[in-house]
Amino acid sequence: MSETVLNANPGRATGSSTSRRLRREGRIPAVVYGHGMDPLAVDIDRRELRAALSGAAGLNTILDLTVEGAVYPSLIKDIQRHPVRRTVLHVDFIQVNLNEEVVVSIPVTIEGEAKEVLQHNGLVDLSMPEFEVRTTPRNIPEGITIDVTDMTMDTVIRVEDVELPDGVEAAGDPDSPVVTVLTMRAVVEDEPVAEGEEGEEGEEGDAEGGDAEASDGDGD
Amino acid sequence: MLMPRKVAHRKHHRGRTKGLAKGGTGLSYGEYGIQALEPGWITARQIEAARIAMTRSIKRGGKVWINIFPDKPVTKKPAETRMGSGKGNPEFWVAVVKPGRTMFELSFPDEGAAREALDKAIQKLPIKARVITREETI
Repeated sequence: MSETVLNANPGRATGSSTSRRLRREGRIPAVVYGHGMDPLAVDIDRRELRAALSGAAGLNTILDLTVEGAVYPSLIKDIQRHPVRRTVLHVDFIQVNLNEEVVVSIPVTIEGEAKEVLQHNGLVDLSMPEFEVRTTPRNIPEGITIDVTDMTMDTVIRVEDVELPDGVEAAGDPDSPVVTVLTMRAVVEDEPVAEGEEGEEGEEGDAEGGDAEASDGDGD
Repeated sequence: MLMPRKVAHRKHHRGRTKGLAKGGTGLSYGEYGIQALEPGWITARQIEAARIAMTRSIKRGGKVWINIFPDKPVTKKPAETRMGSGKGNPEFWVAVVKPGRTMFELSFPDEGAAREALDKAIQKLPIKARVITREETI
């Protein structure tokens, strides 16, 4: 994997107003830490960062972060984005030793057409779009491609079933599903609206909130 | 329709909706989603209408996730009632949504059909919203 140079300016003032000013000028506040070094507040150019991460490795590109002549081989640990505009607000760089193993997430894609699944009105579902692997920074794969052609309605591809390149091992639970097959339920009519079933005064217990509720595509 | 089974308090204050969503702003389950661009209350009926619009549009072979839950009761006084005599009765349930919140997610193999389904669902919502995908630029 190639390394990309990214220049950073040290000594930025911390705080929300100075960070906002930096962002207006096209720079992104960032921090570098890891391997026993004291956290170093820096700022980087937005265009340079975009160019640096536009290679095949994407967010897992090894960056030679250059701060006043000192070079820190780094990976991106975290990117904070604006909730609506989705622009980058802040970047965390973690300094890495190129010979030590790190845990990174790599994208998973599926290829092929699971004919047997389609015949039974099933849906091949990629339940793990990002796959955690443990490897040295130079061995980080650009992504994993999983062939689903031979999948049947009962097949579940788990973490332990995924073939990884040499020197790369899965970091997550080996039993976690990566690709599953969803069976479509029969069409169910809507239940009539329940009237007057609001919670009663004095009852204890908390309201369910926020959790995602999933339904199959044809369950209306 | 979605509503809590039990609640600690039957009647809530209306509250204020300031600022942007703190979490739940990206995609967690599906490949596409609907993101709120304005603050607002989404009623249980609107959530259900959006879900039905989406599932009817994709027909078969997709999966829908609803990431918001209407856990706030809204009260209303009966028509032609004099003011006073306490707060009205709980009438419906809403989910409080701030800009940036991903409200629905969808997994479907065909992107064009998925976007069409999500656009139909957005039409059932009382706030401005947009379709988001996993691809993000710097």
